[in-house]
Amino acid sequence: MKKFALAGNPNCGKTTLFNALTGATAHVGNWPGVTIDKREGIYKKLEEPVEIVDLPGIYSLSPYTPEEIISRNYILDEKPDCVINIVDGTNLERNLYLTTQLLEINIPVVIAVNMIDIVAKKGDAILVAEIEKKFNVPVVEISALREKGIHVLMQKALEASLQTRDAISVLEDSKLAPLINKISALLLERGLNNPLFHAIRFIEQDDFELKKHHDLIETADEIKETIPVDGFGDDYEGLIASLRYKYVAQNFSRAIVRKIQNTTVTKSDKADRVLTHRLWGIPIFLFIMLLIFHLTFGSDLLLLNSIFGLQINGDFWTMLFQVEAGSGIPSPGVFLQSWVIYLLEDLLIPFVASWINIAWIQSLVADGILAGLAAIFSFFPQIMMLFLFLSILEDSGYMARIAFIMDRTFRRFGLSGKAFLPMMMCFGCGVPGAMATRTLETEKERRLTLMVSPFFSCGAKLPIWLAFGSLILGGQHGTFVVFSMYLLGIGVAIIAAILLKKAAFKNEASPFIMEFPSYHTPKFSNLMKYLWDKLKHFLFRAATVIAASIIVIWFLSNFSWAFWTGMVTIENSMLASIGRFIQPIFIPLGFGIGSDGWRFVVGIFSGLIAKENVVATLEQLAGSGGIATLIGSMDLASAYSFMAFNLLTIPCMAMVGAVIGELSKKRYVFETIGFWLAASYVVSLVIYWSIRFWWIGVSLLATLLIIVIISAVIHRPRQARV
Amino acid sequence: MPILFAPLNVELQVTKINVPDDTKHHLANLGVLVGAILVVIADLHGNLIIKVKDGRLAINKDVAMKILVA
Repeated sequence: MKKFALAGNPNCGKTTLFNALTGATAHVGNWPGVTIDKREGIYKKLEEPVEIVDLPGIYSLSPYTPEEIISRNYILDEKPDCVINIVDGTNLERNLYLTTQLLEINIPVVIAVNMIDIVAKKGDAILVAEIEKKFNVPVVEISALREKGIHVLMQKALEASLQTRDAISVLEDSKLAPLINKISALLLERGLNNPLFHAIRFIEQDDFELKKHHDLIETADEIKETIPVDGFGDDYEGLIASLRYKYVAQNFSRAIVRKIQNTTVTKSDKADRVLTHRLWGIPIFLFIMLLIFHLTFGSDLLLLNSIFGLQINGDFWTMLFQVEAGSGIPSPGVFLQSWVIYLLEDLLIPFVASWINIAWIQSLVADGILAGLAAIFSFFPQIMMLFLFLSILEDSGYMARIAFIMDRTFRRFGLSGKAFLPMMMCFGCGVPGAMATRTLETEKERRLTLMVSPFFSCGAKLPIWLAFGSLILGGQHGTFVVFSMYLLGIGVAIIAAILLKKAAFKNEASPFIMEFPSYHTPKFSNLMKYLWDKLKHFLFRAATVIAASIIVIWFLSNFSWAFWTGMVTIENSMLASIGRFIQPIFIPLGFGIGSDGWRFVVGIFSGLIAKENVVATLEQLAGSGGIATLIGSMDLASAYSFMAFNLLTIPCMAMVGAVIGELSKKRYVFETIGFWLAASYVVSLVIYWSIRFWWIGVSLLATLLIIVIISAVIHRPRQARV
Repeated sequence: MPILFAPLNVELQVTKINVPDDTKHHLANLGVLVGAILVVIADLHGNLIIKVKDGRLAINKDVAMKILVA
């Protein structure tokens, strides 16, 4: 099967094109660097099926970043039959820079000018023929988002792949030509593939090439002496980059026909004047976040009940909204959740239970599997709502702006604003969050971000806060409990980042340099595809890992060590004795105290498999009174201590796996896991004793304040570095 | 002068970039190199949004200090 590779700048629409070609639902983000590994799929609409390989976005083929190395090695070593170079039509000159490098490889290339719909909307046009003539490769206008022109593109790519193409360089007419020709001829003599490409890398002082052909350095230096120097001195890399840009500007500034001069302010710029305003930027962002939380978790929509006294009354309306008479209109998230709970717990489970006559099967199916799964499913609507809002923020291009406005704040914790995206993603799920740390530049920043990443409460932890929120503090302050857990996570992350920066990492954040994508309205079908993907992921987890652990816990909690003798009450079960054995460790944290302590201990351990398990397990272990009695009988201090421990401790297996994948050394893995354990234990301890005895809290706060003041006096804020 | 102190909405030409090699390389890829024309379109406490060709680039104060323009 033929292989076509998609190559292009970050955020030029490669992944959108990939999805359109292959029918895949890979996540597209309006944020540079969403594709981190290469992805493969198949396009079936040509005479023969072809394999499509989506390479990570790159600005150049120099081997500086992991993405550049992946893409470059793929094109050079795997030799795809054709490289489809996607260029963003709205930023043509910058995007053609990579094209000039791709053309230096002996491989068929087709250029796809993407986002042609946006170009047309502005009233501009791109003279495709100009580019075709200069580069001598086919050029096709497409809109990956609207799926326009993509079949033509594939036909051209297939045609191109039937022929060979000789490398050309835009530097051939420059003053570097003699040098390039000489080195490339010498490399050709050595039987090297793609001599032109390697010759130019060699002249750019690429470490790898210099090492491989160190004997050529002298020859090169001799020729270099004959070349007139200019502002770049011996910075040949800079010189070559500038020659490429000059070529593109000279040859293709005419290829863009502009309706209005590009000095005018675009709509995106106007939006940025508000959204990245030096004073309003952060308040606007906080307001948007608050609104998102309100729409997802609020039980009184827009506070209509509290302010205007708008209440739901009458049987029909209370049934429709699934609320008690006299409450306000629920937010969409709460509304959907109430219905899911009603359908599962009031209709499905009693129905199934009534059909099963054998006691142990009824116990396994109704009390074990179904009750456990229902506990998890009831939180799906809210998790999905949160995912939806986060992907709207990302897809619209706003997330990149948030990273920028947060940069100044993040720098104080030794992080660049770029660390903000992985952290935001962790509010959805930590696994993609951990993977997104690859867009950070230094290893210290990556490690620091990974260490604090589980503190950003993920979707799977949400059921714990919601369950506790509906049962502690009289059940009246659910939103407050949920919000307080999110704030606690953020607060601990900030304090941990400061401490780690001062004590362990001693790092300075890498410089913030980031492209701003233009704002655009997210496409509804893309959002839905993304949500469906997430939903499938959760359903899969529910059906596999979670269902399996529910069954194991059901078995351990319904049988004693002499399990052949039949079912026993939960207090005499295997799980109870295991829990009671570990229980003492958690006595200082409050929730380990008393006869129910072991249930919470087991809950925490089940959370190590998947955090959704915590509530499901408590539900299973609660005994006759149900989870309401179990949690309802806790004192506030133990309840918060329990929640805090779950929030901060070792995350689920999937997340631990993802974090290990991102860490380069075993030692870092142990440090990270140890750090999570220590953080969760210490914070829970402090929370328990502070709530239990207020004066402990007050004196701790006072001590902290004194430390902050003293350190502020000692470390006077440095002047801006010049 | 450093681009940090440059006036808003005026075309500026880059004269020198004083950053480590890898950062310089990254900037060059994005179109910020000696001779390039930039326009500062927003200034947030020293962090800048600049226009490079048809794209928008956000840089922080430290970087803005080290890109010299005329």
